[in-house]
Amino acid sequence: MVLEATMICIDNSEWMRNGDYGPSRFQAQADAVNLICGAKTQSNPENTVGVLTMAGKGVRVLVTPTSDLGKILACMHGLEIGGEMNLAAGIQVAQLALKHRQNKKQQQRIIVFAGSPVKHEKKTLEMIGKKLKKNSVTLDIVNFGEDDEGKTEKLEALLAAVNNNDTSHIVHIPAGPNALSDVLLSTPIFTGDGEGGSGFAASAAAAAAGGISGFEFGVDPNLDPELALALRVSMEEERARQEAAAKKAAEESSKQEKGGEEQDATMTERASEGASEADNKKNEFLALAMSMDEPASSHDLQDTEMSDAATEDPELALALQLSVQDSAKDSSSQADMSKLLADQSFVSSILASLPGVDPNDPSVKEVLASMQSQSEPQQKQDEDKAPKEEDKK
Amino acid sequence: MACTHDHSCEDHDCSSNWSLYKHIDLAKVTALNEANPGSVKSVFKAWEERLNSSGERLESNEGDPELLVYIPFTSDVKIKSISVVGGADGTSPSKLRVFINREGIDFSDAQSMQPVQEWELVENLQGVLEYQTRYSKFQSVANITLHFPGSFGGDTTQIHYIGFKGEATQLKRDVVATIVYEITPNPSDHKTRAETGGGLSHVE
Repeated sequence: MVLEATMICIDNSEWMRNGDYGPSRFQAQADAVNLICGAKTQSNPENTVGVLTMAGKGVRVLVTPTSDLGKILACMHGLEIGGEMNLAAGIQVAQLALKHRQNKKQQQRIIVFAGSPVKHEKKTLEMIGKKLKKNSVTLDIVNFGEDDEGKTEKLEALLAAVNNNDTSHIVHIPAGPNALSDVLLSTPIFTGDGEGGSGFAASAAAAAAGGISGFEFGVDPNLDPELALALRVSMEEERARQEAAAKKAAEESSKQEKGGEEQDATMTERASEGASEADNKKNEFLALAMSMDEPASSHDLQDTEMSDAATEDPELALALQLSVQDSAKDSSSQADMSKLLADQSFVSSILASLPGVDPNDPSVKEVLASMQSQSEPQQKQDEDKAPKEEDKK
Repeated sequence: MACTHDHSCEDHDCSSNWSLYKHIDLAKVTALNEANPGSVKSVFKAWEERLNSSGERLESNEGDPELLVYIPFTSDVKIKSISVVGGADGTSPSKLRVFINREGIDFSDAQSMQPVQEWELVENLQGVLEYQTRYSKFQSVANITLHFPGSFGGDTTQIHYIGFKGEATQLKRDVVATIVYEITPNPSDHKTRAETGGGLSHVE
């Protein structure tokens, strides 16, 4: 979430016609640029990105740093390939563009795509690097395409001159089956200095690595962003509900003083089994009933706690529940909760109203029965607690 | 402990004069060309600690003795004088140029701009020298930028202490944060002379 202004230097020289990467080197570069712009703006909405070309007739700034993704994507169209890349001038113009950024609080970063041979001397590059370091500009270098003698060495020297505390990076990408952008996703250029990366980059990387068609839920977020978003949101909600349900059942069982650890364990196991194996509708019922009297704040707190560490693994979920049980909870709400659930008629009426839930289903019956048996000692416990509190007052 | 006043220091505490460091917004202090990011914050301390070099010091990068320090204050201050304690062996800064109330100055700006005031510094290892300012120009300082262009021959520039003497006001020189601009005027805001009695003007 660093606040950053980034200038991307694109190589549109003749060497980019080569087809050893993706459809062509230039296309692969353009895809990578789009990805970077998306990632930067997502990780912090106030980030700005600008683009300039280094070859052609001369260094030309296409877009000054802006947070408008559309402008950046638009300027990538209609770019012509030709000429020779001028790395030194490109970096210096990028530095100038960053110097005149609107928000002086942003960190300055330059990302260079070096695809063609570097004709500058190592000394020149080192001096440029030192100047960047002096003005606290960080530099990321993507070394791809041509690999003539000295190019790697020169770029490494440039990086060494700029690097201040590992904030600058260099990535070497050889030609191969993977697309340029896919390889870039796993590099520190995207994951950004070990912060853990923006969710965008992380999820895209995971999807790409997993070998799926590349998209969660089989829906292209670009084609249908609303659908993808709706699917993701409902998935998370469902997960949160499941955890809340399982955790709630586990907590109720643990509040019981008698019964011992074993009973608690079996209770939670049964409850979690019932939660995870049963239909989604059953979970909804449990969550519904629980959420009815639950004070919203404590619930949300726990939901976020749970969902943060959530995994599909039932054992891990169980361990989480057991550990969360120690957290302080509103006892009155507990009492209300259990009273509500204890009311058999109320519960069965809710069950009946839910489509797809069969009240005669054995797992549901088990859960109900156990809850009911809990609620009675629970009420006794609460009554004991109440006079004690009065005594204290 | 000698100081440049012509009285003996045992009578009163000199350090109270150099207390402007308390009004420095330390979180937002930045420096350009420092070898260790963040080391600049260690040079702002109490007067008594100015010779205490056990902690970190501000050092420029190898081979490049130029330094630029940006210091914002939490409220507007008036600066009477500045004191700088440098390092030994020629690593003390030789010159000081200051800019007031300008943010985002970098080296090329600093070299081309006219400073508000500049001083030729001397090696001041004991921290007894202070450089007086043209007080009228330093009346409401919200932030100050110190540019040290070079050192006394050393490879790097080291600074152990920077002190400001002066007073702090309670005011803050703030940028206007929220303004609401009218697209169309609201008639009730504009009382005409006709309504207040007399005149030919009217409001559409």
